[in-house]
Amino acid sequence: MKEFSYVIKDPVGLHARPAGLLVKKAGEFTSSITVESGGKSAEAKKLIKLMGLGIKQGAEVVCRIEGEDEDAAHEALAKFFEENL
Amino acid sequence: MGLFDNFFGKKEERIQIFAPVEGKLVPLSEVSDPTFAEEILGQGAAVIPTSNQFFSPVDGTLTTVFPTGHAVALTSSTGVEVLLHVGLDTVKLNGKHFTVHVEEGQQVKKGDLLLEADLEQIKAEGFDIITPVIICNTEEFSEIGMARGSKVTVEDAILNIIKRKE
Repeated sequence: MKEFSYVIKDPVGLHARPAGLLVKKAGEFTSSITVESGGKSAEAKKLIKLMGLGIKQGAEVVCRIEGEDEDAAHEALAKFFEENL
Repeated sequence: MGLFDNFFGKKEERIQIFAPVEGKLVPLSEVSDPTFAEEILGQGAAVIPTSNQFFSPVDGTLTTVFPTGHAVALTSSTGVEVLLHVGLDTVKLNGKHFTVHVEEGQQVKKGDLLLEADLEQIKAEGFDIITPVIICNTEEFSEIGMARGSKVTVEDAILNIIKRKE
């Protein structure tokens, strides 16, 4: 399993646009990917659940990746958070 | 199609998603935000609202009520995940001009009042009020079609969905 944490910098948090892009990115991998914040967790491939986390600017999120392509997914997602959130 | 499928023991379920607000129905491609227009969040349609009141487009449960009141997500009793996003970039209003009448986890019926938005004020602040209605779990359905017609009320279906059962 791989994991990384990230503090959200986007002033409006994980709202529709970045959430949609994250689902797309996560969908490129077969690994199971979860995003955790504030004691709640959601599958990164499920848009509605992801947005339901209500992640705001300044929130710390932990992304956990498990599966065959976890190394590639880890790298791609860490980059995604840096660039989009 | 339906009859043909039935010969082979397959069935399909037809699901209707109703207009959440009175207004003009337009395809998502006319929404000037690529997140919606390019279907990044899923397929759907959009309504340019002419009323401040937004109602539930389905019987179901409120999965997510954004604290900013500009959007809600529902899961219908038929398994459709519907995102209702009032206006574009309206997350930036941080709740201003929105009054939400429901809570997360609440069960609603089609036509129940979800939220009110002061569209004149929202427009005055420079926001586009077009309201995309998105099917977030698009991949679970075999077909999502936009209804015909332009002027809609909350009694009109705006999306016709076909779910194929194995």
